[in-house]
Amino acid sequence: MRICLMGFGAVGQGVARVISMKNDYLNDKYGLDLKLVAVTDTSGSAISSEGLDVDLLLETKALTGKVCKYPEFGIPDLKNSKTMDMVDYDVLLEVTPTNIEDAEPAKSLIIKALEDRKHVVTSNKGPLALFYKELMSLARENNVQFKYEASVGGAMPIINFAHDTLPGCEIESILGILNGTTNFILSRMTREGSSYEHTLQEAQALGIAETDPTQDVEGTDAACKTVILANSILGTDFTLEDVKVEGISHITSEAIALAKKDGYLIKLIAEVSPYSLSVSPRLVKEDSPYAVDGTLNMATLKTDLADEVTVVGLGAGSVETASAILSDLVNIWKKT
Amino acid sequence: MRTNLVLELQDVPGQLVGVLDPIGTLGANIVTVIHQRDIKTDKGMVPVQITIEGDQNTLDVVLKKLEELNIQVMAVDGIVLKEKITTLLIGNIVDRDVKDTMDNINSLEGVRVADLELKLSENNQDSSAKIVVEAEYGNRDIFIDKIEEIADIKDFKVINEV
Repeated sequence: MRICLMGFGAVGQGVARVISMKNDYLNDKYGLDLKLVAVTDTSGSAISSEGLDVDLLLETKALTGKVCKYPEFGIPDLKNSKTMDMVDYDVLLEVTPTNIEDAEPAKSLIIKALEDRKHVVTSNKGPLALFYKELMSLARENNVQFKYEASVGGAMPIINFAHDTLPGCEIESILGILNGTTNFILSRMTREGSSYEHTLQEAQALGIAETDPTQDVEGTDAACKTVILANSILGTDFTLEDVKVEGISHITSEAIALAKKDGYLIKLIAEVSPYSLSVSPRLVKEDSPYAVDGTLNMATLKTDLADEVTVVGLGAGSVETASAILSDLVNIWKKT
Repeated sequence: MRTNLVLELQDVPGQLVGVLDPIGTLGANIVTVIHQRDIKTDKGMVPVQITIEGDQNTLDVVLKKLEELNIQVMAVDGIVLKEKITTLLIGNIVDRDVKDTMDNINSLEGVRVADLELKLSENNQDSSAKIVVEAEYGNRDIFIDKIEEIADIKDFKVINEV
C-alpha cells in the first residue's frame, strides 16, 4: 500500500517509526507492505515511487530538520497538492498541524485526495471539527474510505471502537477526558497542591504543554474532539461553534483541595449528547472511571444495550498516536 | 407488610400499566393506586401513590425494578427521598454576600444547603466555596439552574458533578 504522507512533525515521524518497526509484522500477518512514496514538511518533499527508506528519512529529518534534504529524492519547496500530483499513491495520510480557523491546508488536501478517489487517513482535528459532513459525503460519493481514529484520544480506541466493536449498540452519550495536557496539569495540582501557573510552567518544561498552551487549557482542543465524536458516533451535525467551552485556567489549588476533602477530583470533562456539547471542569468521584491520572484520556460510552462501556488510553505521544493511524491503515487494507 | 410509594410518572397513556404490571409479576400485592392526573410535579409529571403488600424482600425487589425501569420514586412511606449534590464555586465569594447566595439556594422548594465550606486564597477573586445541598429527588436540575444563575450574576465559576 503506497502512502503519501503530508506533514512530518511528531505524528508524521511517529508513523515513519512505526512503519520501520512493524513492516515485517504487517507483512506476515496481513500481507500488507506499507510503502512511503512521498513525504512533505514545510521545507519541501521527498518522493520515490519505489518507496523511501524510512530510517534514512528519519535520520535526514533529525540531522537537517528538512525532508527535502533526503539524498537523491529530496525536492525543496515542492509541497501540498503539487506533491500529490507528482506521485501515484493509494492512501493520503494527512498529519499537518491542526488549524481551527479554516482547517487549511488539510481540508484542501483531503478534498483533493477524495476527489482523486484515494483513501484518506488523518489525525487532524481542524477539517473534522469544521467540515465533517462535507468530507464524509465526498468520501461516500467517491467510494473511498476516510478514517480519523487518531484525531480523538491519541492511542485510546474510540471511533473505530464504537463503529466496529459496538456496531449493534446505539450510543446515547459520551462523557470523557479528551485532553492529556489539562489532565496532567489537574492531576499534578491535585497531588502536589501546586498553583495552576506553576504547574503549567512545569508541564511546558516537560514538553507536555505547548509554549502557547491556549488551545489545550482553554478547552478548544477537547471541544474539537467532542464535535468529532458527536458527528461520527452519534450521527449529529455539529460544528465547533456549537460547543459550550470552559477551560481550566481559573482552577485554583484551593478549589482542588476542597473537592479532594469530599473524595472528588476536578477534571476537564467533555460531554457529548445528541442535543448539546460541552467541555467544562467537573467534579468526579475519586473511585470512578473518570479518575484517570497524568496524560491519560478516557471516555465512557452510554449505550442502549451494553449500558456503560469505558475506554482508557494514552492521549498523546508520537508513536502512540501513530498506533491509531496504523489501525486505520490496516483496516483500509483489510477492506480493499 | 405494606408500603406506600409515591412514584413520578409521565402523563401519557400506558405509563401506569407499564409500572403496575412488573410490580404484580414480582409477587407484590397492589393494594391501592391513587392516580390524580390534575396534580403535576414541577417537571410536569404526575405523582402516583401506590400501596403494595409483600415481605421485605419482595419490596426491595420492587424498588430495584422501579430503578431499572427508570421510574423516579419520590417518597417511601411518607419519607421524601433526597439526594446530595456537591458543587464548587470559584470567585469573589465572600465580598459578594455569602448569605445571599445561601438564601437564594434555600429559597428553592425541596432544596436545602446542608454544608458550606469556604477556602480563601491570597487573592479574593480566587476564593472557593464547596456547597453541599440536599435535594428532593427530581430537583437536581432546578438547583443546577439556580446556581448557574447566581454564578452568572456574581461572576463565579461553577464546577458541577458529572
